[in-house]
Amino acid sequence: MSMSDITEQEIKVFLDAVDTYFSQITRERAAVRAAYLADGDHLPQTYDFTGLIAVSGQYRGCLYFSAPAVMLRHLLLVMEEPSHSDENFLDAVGEIANTLAGNSRKHFGETMAISVPVTMKGAPERIKSSVRARPYVIMVSWKKYNASLVVDIERND
Amino acid sequence: MKLLIVDDSNIIRSRIARLAGDSRMPPCQIVGLAKNGSEALGLFTQSKPDVVTMDLTMPEMDGIQCIEAIVALDPNVLILVVSALSDKATAIRALMKGAQGFLYKPFTDEQLIGALKELVA
Repeated sequence: MSMSDITEQEIKVFLDAVDTYFSQITRERAAVRAAYLADGDHLPQTYDFTGLIAVSGQYRGCLYFSAPAVMLRHLLLVMEEPSHSDENFLDAVGEIANTLAGNSRKHFGETMAISVPVTMKGAPERIKSSVRARPYVIMVSWKKYNASLVVDIERND
Repeated sequence: MKLLIVDDSNIIRSRIARLAGDSRMPPCQIVGLAKNGSEALGLFTQSKPDVVTMDLTMPEMDGIQCIEAIVALDPNVLILVVSALSDKATAIRALMKGAQGFLYKPFTDEQLIGALKELVA
């Protein structure tokens, strides 16, 4: 079975999903910087908390959303969530990753199966082993905080 | 109305519970919070809710399986799917299994309140 990367045009689906997420949840748009293929020698920065979704079916790979605790605390505040525990920070990155992946099925369809989120604190080696050398990286700025969405998905041709 | 909230995200369960108490909502009693389909089935049997908000992507038992099981127990229950899965086929499948409404994540407070009000109208 041959594989092909999703296109730059298709990456726009994820840019739009990030925009929609922050606009809907916080009523304040995030600045989303252009996606690029990360340098193979330097995997993109991960922040304090990361939520990862595995993709299968007609597609293969994963995406993950990684954010600093300070950003997640502010996000939970906006959502009127009173508990700012590590548990809820993990829940938040998992839910954001799940939402972005789920929204992308509007374009990719149900043949892109997505897993429940796997959430991590810190910058575990597990992320490095989940991602190929050159994934797409989307930098997200909301208020004064930076986060990243990494998309590493290929299509079964 | 008696409401059961099913979602694997604690933040989403908490947010829906908070909005259920909003003054714009019909009087509402939360009878359970479940983090997967299996837990939801147990709570459904115990508490017999009128309305269920149902996530789809969950561990152990997913939302589509849970809708099918719940509707088999009570064909009159009202189910609002609250999910990020935005392809048409999934929405159609959920509705065919017995859900009456579908709200896409991410949702605003107004959208959730509107969807629940429409469901029970």
